[in-house]
Amino acid sequence: MNSCTKCGNTHIIIRRKQSGQSLCKECFLASINEKVLKNIRKYKLIEKGDKVLMALSGGKDSVVALNILNSLKERNIIDLTALTIDEGIKGYREEGIKIAAKNAQKLGVDHKIVSFKDYLGLNLDDMMAKNDQIRHACTYCGVFRRWILNREAQEEEATKIATGHNLDDETQSIIMNYLEGNINNLVRIGPKTEAPDKRFTVKIKPLREIPEKEVGLYAVAAGLKVHLSGCPYAGESFRWEIGSFIKELSINHPTIMYSTLKGFEKIKTALKKEITIKGNLGVCKRCGEPAADDLCKACTFLKDWDVK
Amino acid sequence: MKIKVIIGEENLDQKIPEGCTVKDLLKKMEIPSETVVVKKNEFIIVEEELIQEGDTIEIIKVIYGG
Repeated sequence: MNSCTKCGNTHIIIRRKQSGQSLCKECFLASINEKVLKNIRKYKLIEKGDKVLMALSGGKDSVVALNILNSLKERNIIDLTALTIDEGIKGYREEGIKIAAKNAQKLGVDHKIVSFKDYLGLNLDDMMAKNDQIRHACTYCGVFRRWILNREAQEEEATKIATGHNLDDETQSIIMNYLEGNINNLVRIGPKTEAPDKRFTVKIKPLREIPEKEVGLYAVAAGLKVHLSGCPYAGESFRWEIGSFIKELSINHPTIMYSTLKGFEKIKTALKKEITIKGNLGVCKRCGEPAADDLCKACTFLKDWDVK
Repeated sequence: MKIKVIIGEENLDQKIPEGCTVKDLLKKMEIPSETVVVKKNEFIIVEEELIQEGDTIEIIKVIYGG
């Protein structure tokens, strides 16, 4: 098929191996917009009147998500604001921050930039210098970003935090948690976090069913300015290994990520009945954020370095 | 056939055989096709597209690890 399955245009930009569909630029962009908005309705990710805080790194995923969510803002369905966290990764992060700011400005979305340094007294490069290679940078980055995102969401009185997680990210998380035997974390994976405590703002993943390659294609086709670069700390992480393995498998099995996600959704209900998710969390003695133990995960790390 | 290939800041002159597709070019350059979006003469194309003498091929890496 050398023409668009939907409109017959002979200039196609994608052949979806998983469905056999060929699409031109306009029909491809429309198909992604429709799919994301349909999933927002299907999983009730957003309700009218929500204040959504977009975690905006400047990368393709968050910029695409911001643009699609902005269509809901323009229709006065939601209030939208964006937050960029500067982790302090020299030679990498600066460009992403500039691009994030430009995108927010272009759409007229309120944008705030906060840094690890201001919040924690250390940036990620400092942490890795102190770390003695005990933990991977992604562990610190993930814990502190979630911690800051939640605090900022509470301060902004946001009712939802939107992240740019795509189908590849979600499939990786399912396989990683399963392989590591981390079943408590596995059952929490979903389009919307079911926060065990109301002091955690609900997180939503509007791009969860869009393959990463299609998010990239959307950004290029729509002419969006995005930060296309790899984090210097990302290589050799377990996520990277799993991601490479799934991408390799997807070449000959193009539906593998969808079937992993759909299969997981089917067993998740049964798993959740067996696994009790802790509710009624206590308070971290150091920072006052919700915590399962005396200290939250972020403060456990900070205490070791004796900062703030 | 002579073509021009743009990857990021790099601007390369490449020689490819007649009947070469984008997929063949990516394979020759050892670039995984699932990580890039390709433009021919400024238009996005699919990997089965034939390349012709004098074409400018831009390879945009959209997927990085992590």
